[in-house]
Amino acid sequence: MAKVRFVLPDVRRSLDGLDEGELLRRVARGDRRAFDELYRRTAPWLTTRLRRRCADEDVVAEVLQETYLAVWRSAGSQAHALAGGSAVGWLWTIAAHRLVDAFRHRARRERVPAVQTFETVAPAAEEEALAGEIGADMERALLALPAELRQVLRAMVLDGLTTRETSLLLGMPEGTVKTRARRARIAMREALS
Amino acid sequence: MTPHPTPALISRYAAGDTVLDDATTWAMEAHLESCADCRALLADAVDPSTRDLLNRVAEGIDTGIATGPGPKRHRRLRRTGVTARVLPWLLTAATLMLMAVLFERTFVSMPSLVLLIAPMVPLLPVAAAWSRRLDPAWELMATTPRTGLWLLLRRTLAVLLAVVPVLAVAGWGTGHSPALWLLPSLGFTAGTLALGGLVGVDRAALTLAVIWSVAVVAPSLASRQLPAVLSGDSWPGWAAITVALVAVVFLRAGEYRRLGVDRT
Amino acid sequence: MTNGEIMMRTVSVAETAPTTYAWTVYAEKLQVRAGRHLAVNGLDLALGTGVHGLLGPNGAGKTTLMRALATVLKPAGGRLSLLGEDVTGNADLPNVRRSLGYLPQHFGFYPRFTVREFVEYMAWLKEMPQAVIPGAVQRAIERVGLADRADSRMKTLSGGMLRRAGIAQAIVNDPELLLLDEPTVGLDPEQRLDFRELLREIGVDGCVLVSTHLVEDVAVACTDVVLVNEGRLVWQGTAGELAQQGGASDAGDSATERGYSALLRAHRGQVSA
Repeated sequence: MAKVRFVLPDVRRSLDGLDEGELLRRVARGDRRAFDELYRRTAPWLTTRLRRRCADEDVVAEVLQETYLAVWRSAGSQAHALAGGSAVGWLWTIAAHRLVDAFRHRARRERVPAVQTFETVAPAAEEEALAGEIGADMERALLALPAELRQVLRAMVLDGLTTRETSLLLGMPEGTVKTRARRARIAMREALS
Repeated sequence: MTPHPTPALISRYAAGDTVLDDATTWAMEAHLESCADCRALLADAVDPSTRDLLNRVAEGIDTGIATGPGPKRHRRLRRTGVTARVLPWLLTAATLMLMAVLFERTFVSMPSLVLLIAPMVPLLPVAAAWSRRLDPAWELMATTPRTGLWLLLRRTLAVLLAVVPVLAVAGWGTGHSPALWLLPSLGFTAGTLALGGLVGVDRAALTLAVIWSVAVVAPSLASRQLPAVLSGDSWPGWAAITVALVAVVFLRAGEYRRLGVDRT
Repeated sequence: MTNGEIMMRTVSVAETAPTTYAWTVYAEKLQVRAGRHLAVNGLDLALGTGVHGLLGPNGAGKTTLMRALATVLKPAGGRLSLLGEDVTGNADLPNVRRSLGYLPQHFGFYPRFTVREFVEYMAWLKEMPQAVIPGAVQRAIERVGLADRADSRMKTLSGGMLRRAGIAQAIVNDPELLLLDEPTVGLDPEQRLDFRELLREIGVDGCVLVSTHLVEDVAVACTDVVLVNEGRLVWQGTAGELAQQGGASDAGDSATERGYSALLRAHRGQVSA
């Protein structure tokens, strides 16, 4: 069996035209090359995103490995269930749940991995170009929130986690998560009106 | 498409730049989830330590794939699930109907066996579709949110869609008006569901079949006369009963959420 | 705020509303029939997050209690509320059941289904969104250690593997209330260790009730022990406290077993007096 290398130029040429959903359908049929291509295309993005939620390299590596192995093993059912939906979104869902599981596992052993936190910084000119994505108003509203509220909002809205999962990821009681989510909603509504 | 982030921005994101403000990262992450081109840019922009991690993980995945199972094609469950359990009873019902047609055409002087047993024909497969004796995972099903009237109705409808053509063929083969074989069977089906909310669908089907056989079929065959309930102008009565029973079923919709188990 | 391209989820108001209930399981003078006999007769119970062990002699009403908590049986009397909703009637059952997981003592399965197909079918019955099911099923199968038998037909599995498949379907929807009736039957000692670890993990953010006759399972994995006899609550406390209840004269090979015997004896003495 060929060792997976991060860049496989021959593979790239023939699978270039296929999107991730197509690749997944091929993986469902046992196509190893399609799987390697899917990894090549999506793993860097997934890793970067995971790293911004967990400072522990080992956890990130573990989650990444488990995610793609799960993709390989369950591709048969998943390709059928997705049927045109977002394969990439599904990849994130699997990774997010595995990340929460890793935090739960370590919470059991009281060794909780550190969570990345960021301070608010005024946006530079080039960054404003992205304002179109979420709206300048919303961007301002988001930045006006205290960091701990923004954290909860990101986990629930952007990462798609439930309050229980968010409480595990951020290492706070579920009641606190709910309170902060409510405060964030009120603050956003006020800022946007 | 919404505006793409600049390559410089993507590089900074890929490098794990902590100075990027939260709103920008939020927008970027939302964008990256749907934009393959920007993901490709990001793939080229990752720093060496990330590249190392990706290679290490790739090797781990390689081992995992080699030592574990591969993807299995998704199989349509219809053949092995509920359908498999109900199919034998559907075939039995169809065979009974066929025999009734042959009987009726042979013994012309006897009352119509087709009309006499048509009401009971759907009961066998309907009972099989919602039976604690035939469904090994009954106790598990009793705890799931989908269990209830809608699931029961779906399965009953599927059974009817299979049974009604059989009845139609039998009715056409013996020259009876559709109202006389369709309405009683619908009425009995509704009755099974209604009574089933009280005692269980399979027990209800058995009870109704026995009552009908004893009270109507046997005397009718013995006296060689079609009973009044199956005469030509009885169909409005059957229609009214069916509607009333269906109303009862819907009014007691909550009862179908509890399946109960046999005492052990 | 959102449009079709931006993959963001809307968070409902209900989701972030403060939790209104104090106990995941709350029973007051609960009565449940098994056939004609009142197997659960005046039971009071309050369970929160964590792993709770349910102990008691045969005929104590453990299985009937589990069935009532799993909403299989309708209570004949008293009050029962799960996840803050009253389940003595039929009204809120679907809501409660979506966050429920149950493994019965006699676990029925479809022989020709593969493990994956069976857990997917149960996930569908639990009304999980279709797109989420395959990922959740894979995760559940991995958590019980059946990843390499996921696509084998259930009739080819050993007793211990079947039990683990049963546990997988119980946890596939990440239930807030997990009810397991004799889950370790057929598991070898190593599998029991893995299983206890799984229980402890789930107990971090969920309420688990494990009915077992193996006192060691209880002593090691459970944060809390519930002892029932003749349909009533006899005692509730930690495993450590249970061990302290017994003395040298009580039957049992371990402190926990002696505590168990002592409490049963005292309860029987009270009942007959």
